[in-house]
Parts: sequence; structure tokens; C-alpha cells
Amino acid sequence: MNYSNDYRPPSLRQRIVSVWYRHERVYNSNFISNAFPPFLEPLILLGGLGIGFGAYIQTMGSMNYILFLASGIIVTSSMYTAAFECTYGTFIRLEFDKVYDGMLGAPLSPHNLIVGEILFAGTKGWLFSMAVLVVTWLTGIISYPGSVIASLVGFICGIMFGTLSMWITSFVKNINHFNFYFTGLLSPMFFFSGAVFPLENLPTGMQWAAEAIPLTHVVRMARAFCVPDQLGWYLMTDLGYCTVFIMITGWLAIRGLKKRMID
Amino acid sequence: MNDLAIKITTLVKTYGELVAVDRLDFEVKRGECFGLLGPNGAGKTTTMKIIYGKAEADQIPDTSIDVFGFHPHRDALTIKAFSGIVPQQDNLDSNLNVTDNLLVYSRFYGMNKREALKRIAELLDFMELQEKAQVKIGELSGGMQRRLTIARALINKPRLLILDEPTTGLDPQVRHLIWNKIRELREMGVTVLLTTHYMEEAFQICDRIIIMDKGKKILEGLPHQLLSSHLESFVMVIYGVSDETLNGSILTDGNGIRYESYQDTWYAYSNFPERLSALAESLNISHYHVRQSNLEDLFLKVTGRGLNELQ
Repeated sequence: MNYSNDYRPPSLRQRIVSVWYRHERVYNSNFISNAFPPFLEPLILLGGLGIGFGAYIQTMGSMNYILFLASGIIVTSSMYTAAFECTYGTFIRLEFDKVYDGMLGAPLSPHNLIVGEILFAGTKGWLFSMAVLVVTWLTGIISYPGSVIASLVGFICGIMFGTLSMWITSFVKNINHFNFYFTGLLSPMFFFSGAVFPLENLPTGMQWAAEAIPLTHVVRMARAFCVPDQLGWYLMTDLGYCTVFIMITGWLAIRGLKKRMID
Repeated sequence: MNDLAIKITTLVKTYGELVAVDRLDFEVKRGECFGLLGPNGAGKTTTMKIIYGKAEADQIPDTSIDVFGFHPHRDALTIKAFSGIVPQQDNLDSNLNVTDNLLVYSRFYGMNKREALKRIAELLDFMELQEKAQVKIGELSGGMQRRLTIARALINKPRLLILDEPTTGLDPQVRHLIWNKIRELREMGVTVLLTTHYMEEAFQICDRIIIMDKGKKILEGLPHQLLSSHLESFVMVIYGVSDETLNGSILTDGNGIRYESYQDTWYAYSNFPERLSALAESLNISHYHVRQSNLEDLFLKVTGRGLNELQ
């Protein structure tokens, strides 16, 4: 072995991409078991709720119920995958597998690790919404050509729940406590975000509560790209909400997790 | 300054009430193998983590840390770019095979795939893992995983290699292989900093060592010099004899013999082995054993035989 080292740390972009690449390699090493659930989930939801409820409810507001439901669950699957990745996944890497201890021996900062991981959560969010879209295209539920853009909303949703979940992870000491997050926060969000029923007829207080939660905004944006005549400047408010939400929870996540990574 | 790899002055690290590192000073020369010895909880790992920025030292004005001219708080990435780190626990990606593990890690250094694959082949050769290139981590033995973790730390051809208990829990064959590799690396000019609680390990590969206890440095020097200047050359170990039998008779007997006892074992130290066996025979003791004293005896002498609360 010849011996010389004049290596400098790689650029910021290279460092973040290398973290993303690590997660991508590990995820794809279980390709078979990781490739099916994203397609199976929407089939179960659309089959279960769509056929069951669909027999009684033909229209929801101004649109076909199945279309309403399908355009709603594009981002909910993205929410769940990002939340799992950045709670259980992050916690296991941090506490059990000590993956970060290994990675922090390389020229990476905790900041790089966290940003790379959130970007990966966004990527998974994009992938899962893409899978829902593919299912809805194949079943003919969504045929609107702009709907492919909804997968980008899935990316935003993944980032948003990546930052939120990593912030939660930064102060969770016991892995079982994530149950509170999933049943206490994400499940109600799933129902009161306008994904499965419209918010218009809820009492005013609940409407405000629904506007406060992040999922509502990505559901509205994703749906606007899947059904005709819904696009408008009003969506900028939702995008603005997402941007601010990502910045705040991202900052909290970095601040909290850094403390757990550096003794 | 130029022949120094690491210079640490008045290093302090506290976790709440616990003082993990207590005003520690030491210097590591370029190209030497330097060992931090001590029982669990002595502050060895914490000291290492501070050197590569995984832990932050307490901010007190007297502290200074210099690693090849860089400070871990400001230049952690630079230090890590020219260092190789072997943490105490192997944390390989168990879903990936051997080559993919190293490939993923090479990306952290910004290496392109072609140069990385070339380097990986060299490293698997060096650590004698060439046949395992496509094997999943779960199928590797503990010793192979350790060798792979060391190979991973060498991917960037480090100037400084930091090993935290490199051979703890490994069988003798693997330990000797790892020692040989560390010696080879040192001959290539790599500065090596390691922690261990195996005295044998320090004796085998370290040029200089410090013995730490409760965050403080207790002794510093060359392994064999420390031994000869702080301890008699021979020790006799006497088992299972009650204090009453021995008290009175031998404790009054000076004669160039020093005694220590721990639980129901007595240790008699002397530079004259024949005096030790003569003593044993005069006492009619059948279970005794005279041997050369080693670093372990020194270690126990200076850090105490009893357990501390972290062991």
C-alpha cells in the first residue's frame, strides 16, 4: 500500500449526498420487501374504503368519492413513510445500531447527517406518492395529466414529516414512546386533514384546528393537481405554511439531535 | 511542534457531576504508537472522542488541543478527513455486504467509485478478508467484523489512526493479526493512538503509554521502563490462605519482599525469585506460583485492585 493523504473534507453537497446515498443503498438492499408495500397500501385503502363507503357515497362535495379519497391518500402514505423513517429508523441508528457513531468518524458533521436523512425521507415520500399515483392511474381513478406533479407534493410532505419526526426523536428516550406520536398525533391528522372527508362542514373551531396541522396543506396541494379546475394562487398559502413549518421543525431537529450525537 | 501529532494540555470533560477527564496532559509524536491505558471509566474513550470532535471538551481557559495543527472544535471535518477512526463498537451496516459497506463509507470522503474499488481491494487484502468481499455482515465472525471496521478506517489512507479497544473480546489469533497490522501501519508512518485495558497489548505495540485512572494521568513512559522503575521483577501469588496464617509470620519479614493482599489472594513482590520460593517453602505453602511481574501487576498497583462504580 502506498501511503499519502492530502485529503480535504468533501464539499457540503458531496457530504449531504453521501449520507443520502448510504440510506439509499441500505433501503435498496431489501428491494423486494421494500418495493411492495407502497403499492399495496393504496390498493387496500382504496379497496376497503372505496368499495365499502363508495357503495353509499357517490359524491363528496363536488367530486366523485373514489377520486376524492385517491387524491387525499397520495400524501398520507408519504407522511407515514417519512415518519417511520425518521422516528423508529433514526432512533435505531442512533441508539441501537450506533450507525451515526460510525458515520461521525468520517468527515461528516451531525448537521450533514440530519439534512441528508431528511432529504432521504423526502425521497421516500416522493416514491410512496408516486406508487399511489401509479395505482390510481392504472385503475383509471385519476387521469388528469397534471397529477404527476402531486408526487412533488409528496416530496414536500416527506420533508415536512421528516423534520417534525426527527425533532420528536431528538427528545424521545424510549423507543416505545413513538406510539404516542403515531396514535396521538398522526392518526388524528390522517382523519382531520381533508384526506378522507372534506373539512368545509366541520364546526369552525375544528376547521381552524385542521388548518393548523401540516397534513391539511399538502392534501390540498396534492388534490389540486389531481382534479380539474382546482389550481389557483390560494395554494401559495399552503406552500408558505410548508416552508415555514420545515424551517422551524428542521431547526429544532438539528439543534436537538446534535446534542445527542456529540457528547 | 512539527514532530508532534497531538498535543493536549489541561483537558477537562465533565458530564454533570461526573468528571470524566481531569486536567489531562499528553503529547503524541508523529509516527509513534501511543496507548491510553486504564480501567473502564478512566476517561480513555472520552479523550479520544474529543480528539476527533465526537465529544466536546469543557471550555476552560487553560485547555489547548492540537491535532496536526488543527483544533477539533473548529476543524473537526479536516481532522476526520486525514484520520481513521475505529470506534469501540463495530457499527457496520448489517444489511450490506463487505464491499458495499466500504463503498458507502468511501463516499463520505468524496472518493469516486473507481478509486474506491481499487482501494477496497487493497484493504481487504491487507486485513486478509479478500474472500469475504461479497459476504453479508451478519455472516462474518466477530474477528472479521473487527478487521473490517479497521479496514473501513483505513479507506482514506489516514495520517492518524485512532483505535478504541481494537482487540477487546477477540481470540488470540485475531489479536496477533491486528497487532501485526498496526505495527505495519506504524512503519508506513501512520501515527497510532489507541486505548486498551490489555497490558499485553500495550507491551506488544505501543511505543509509549499513559496509565489513566478516574480521568487523571497516573504514569507515563515506555512500557518496559514503567515496569522496571515502578515494580519489582518477580511476584509470587499465594491463593486460599487465610490472613491469620500469614500475618505475624511474613509481614514482619522484610528481606526485600513487599506484600499486597486482595480478597483471599496474597501477592509477594521481590527482585529476587529465590527469596520468594524460600519464603513459600518456609511457610509450608503448596499452592504458590512465582512469575515475572508484568504490566498488569503495575496497572493493578497504580489503579487499585478493587472495582470502581463504573466497572
